[in-house]
Amino acid sequence: MKRLFRICGILFLSALMTVPLIISPAQAESPKYKRSVEKYTIPDVVLTNQDGKKVRLESLLNGDTPVVLDFIYGTCTTICPVLSAGFVNLQNKAGAANQNVRLVSITIDPENDTPKVLKEYLKRYRAKADWDFLTGSRADINTVMRAFNAYIPDKMSHYPLNMIRSPKDGTWVRLFGIMGSREFWDEYQSVAKK
Amino acid sequence: MIRKILLTTLALSAAQLLLCAVQVFALPVPPAVDLPQAEIIRLGERIFRDGILPSGDPMPAFIRGDVEIDSSAFSCSSCHLRAGLGSLEGGVVTPPTNGSKLYKPYRRPPSLDDTHDHAGRYLYAKTIVERPAYNREKLAIAMRFGVDPAGQIFNDVMPRYPLSDRDMSVLTGYLEILSSNFSPGASVSAFRFATIITDDVSAEDRQALLEPLRKFIDQKNQQLATYEDFIKFGYKPTVDMKYAFNRAELDIWELKGPPETWQGQLAAYNSKNPVFAVLSGISNGEWRPIHDFCEAERIPCLYPITDLPVISETDWYTFYFNKGYAQEGEATARYLNHVKMLPVNTPILQIVQETLVGKALASGFNNSWQELQRQPVTTMTLSAQQLQDRGTLAALFKKHKPGVLLLWTDAALVPRLSKLTKLLPATGLIFISSGYMGKKTAAIAETLRSRVYITYPYRLTPFVGSKDGGFDAKVPLLMGAKDFGDRRIISRSTTMLKQATLRGLNLLYDNLYRDHLLDIMSTQMDLIVRDYERFSFGPGQRYASKGCYIIQLGHGSDPPLLPRSEWVIL
Repeated sequence: MKRLFRICGILFLSALMTVPLIISPAQAESPKYKRSVEKYTIPDVVLTNQDGKKVRLESLLNGDTPVVLDFIYGTCTTICPVLSAGFVNLQNKAGAANQNVRLVSITIDPENDTPKVLKEYLKRYRAKADWDFLTGSRADINTVMRAFNAYIPDKMSHYPLNMIRSPKDGTWVRLFGIMGSREFWDEYQSVAKK
Repeated sequence: MIRKILLTTLALSAAQLLLCAVQVFALPVPPAVDLPQAEIIRLGERIFRDGILPSGDPMPAFIRGDVEIDSSAFSCSSCHLRAGLGSLEGGVVTPPTNGSKLYKPYRRPPSLDDTHDHAGRYLYAKTIVERPAYNREKLAIAMRFGVDPAGQIFNDVMPRYPLSDRDMSVLTGYLEILSSNFSPGASVSAFRFATIITDDVSAEDRQALLEPLRKFIDQKNQQLATYEDFIKFGYKPTVDMKYAFNRAELDIWELKGPPETWQGQLAAYNSKNPVFAVLSGISNGEWRPIHDFCEAERIPCLYPITDLPVISETDWYTFYFNKGYAQEGEATARYLNHVKMLPVNTPILQIVQETLVGKALASGFNNSWQELQRQPVTTMTLSAQQLQDRGTLAALFKKHKPGVLLLWTDAALVPRLSKLTKLLPATGLIFISSGYMGKKTAAIAETLRSRVYITYPYRLTPFVGSKDGGFDAKVPLLMGAKDFGDRRIISRSTTMLKQATLRGLNLLYDNLYRDHLLDIMSTQMDLIVRDYERFSFGPGQRYASKGCYIIQLGHGSDPPLLPRSEWVIL
């Protein structure tokens, strides 16, 4: 049933998108994510991961493998579950392709998101190793958001954003919007195979 | 070129065939009438809230066609919220999904990924989405394939659910029941509220609680009177305005006798005059009997004045200012976890006065300490008499040689603190609670102050918030040791009413459901408030203030409070 649905669903949606006569033209356009390549200076802050361990952000992100970064929070309703489902799928695809993918989520609700909350969140999504969820003081979290041009004054008004860092040249592919797993994987591969 | 036309024609035909197939495939949806309503609610609620099918399996779901998600992590209520009236988060407008709204035409405001103009702004008039009413069949198509009755495709964040006909019927049946009748205590013209006062509360504290509450009710009724005058003179209200003004009544539910009789008393009050919500309340004892009653009856209880709340990650109906004394214990554990000068195996002795307060402090500490995966500390629970016995504490100190002493007691020990400290190792640290020790904390000898750390769960920085909260920066803050133990009843109640509750009530419109009020209040933006550094919210979050400083006293008889930690300690 699930397989049938998946095939039907993909075909159905593809058909709807390519057949503007069938449905309202104004709504037929598939929303696209926005892509840009940016340079960011990683701020010198120490955050806390889901195990309560202090982590220097720079050393976590400046490794020799690509890193995927997003900003979410533990009790988020709409955007974060979609972003996190994207992370899970990326991990699964990477696992199937024998690749290691490094994922980093940073909370935008540091008041509530203690390491315990972060750990439970990752468990809920059945996250595999190499997915860190970080919290910190509000001042440090604000510093990080600003550094990535992702400052969100209040968590209720945040937006879907993923960023992928290339270890080759330190640039970031900034992806604004909701992506399908294929699109996300392709974006990741474009950085990984640089 | 010809090849291209052929391919396009083929794609068109295939899509049309697929659409027809989908319609056939989705029809008919058997009505959920063959199950008793209680069973529809039980099974449907599980699908809606937890993403678990009647079979016990997680409900499968897909985003953007190929991203498979587990609905136990991302259920319907994640976005549509518990009352099913929808939400606005991250720029995404999640529309209502209860039957009474689904089965009527609906207009949705602009949302994320709607059409933009060249400057990237939303084109409001062009992006209002209108759809005709659903019926069960169209609802099934919407859930399975993400297309509404007008053929419009849903936003990408809405998953598609490959539900069987049977499971679809259960879920549809639940949505038809969900938020279908106004909650007790509310009508289109009036709200009835109650507040709760237990018989251990002083006349002064009682008055402090009732003053802002009565003012709030009077103001609401005065606004209604003004609005009715406008109507008399020919003012034509907008639809929203019609629901903005309601008469409000406040009952006072007095609880007498032992706590085990409270639930019976509360049931009698509520049965006689059901209320929409409990506004505040006050008790010197545990809030649990009242909490449990509100939980069982699904009555919102908004910000009671208690330092002994129920600590739960799943209970729904009571909003607290913070975790009370338990939060102070938690802050101590987290602070100690990061004290660099403390050797790893420093013996920690926890002295707990045998009272509800002492136990709440110890419980908060122990739970957090365990969470931090630290070894349990030695805990001794002593009566007030045992604490006054000079030999008892001396013997304990001699035996355990604590490098850290957690002293969860009232102020009766303050005069003896200097002598007792001499029995500790020379570098030993002492932790106390500002609320429990109270204003006598200021009497701690200056020579000791460098070794005494104090939990302090209130604001330390200047308050520059708006007057919306009923205060402005000119009102002096309670920020000295002489204010330790002050329950801040008037200021906290005013904050609760004007900054948190009123906003929730104003956004209800014609959705007079208790769960919706809680949904709205828990998804509001963070607040800067007078007594705490910050109130933060989120679905399922029930303790608005998450912070607690660890401080030390400065010099003098009215010593400054010196922060030794962040507001929120990780």
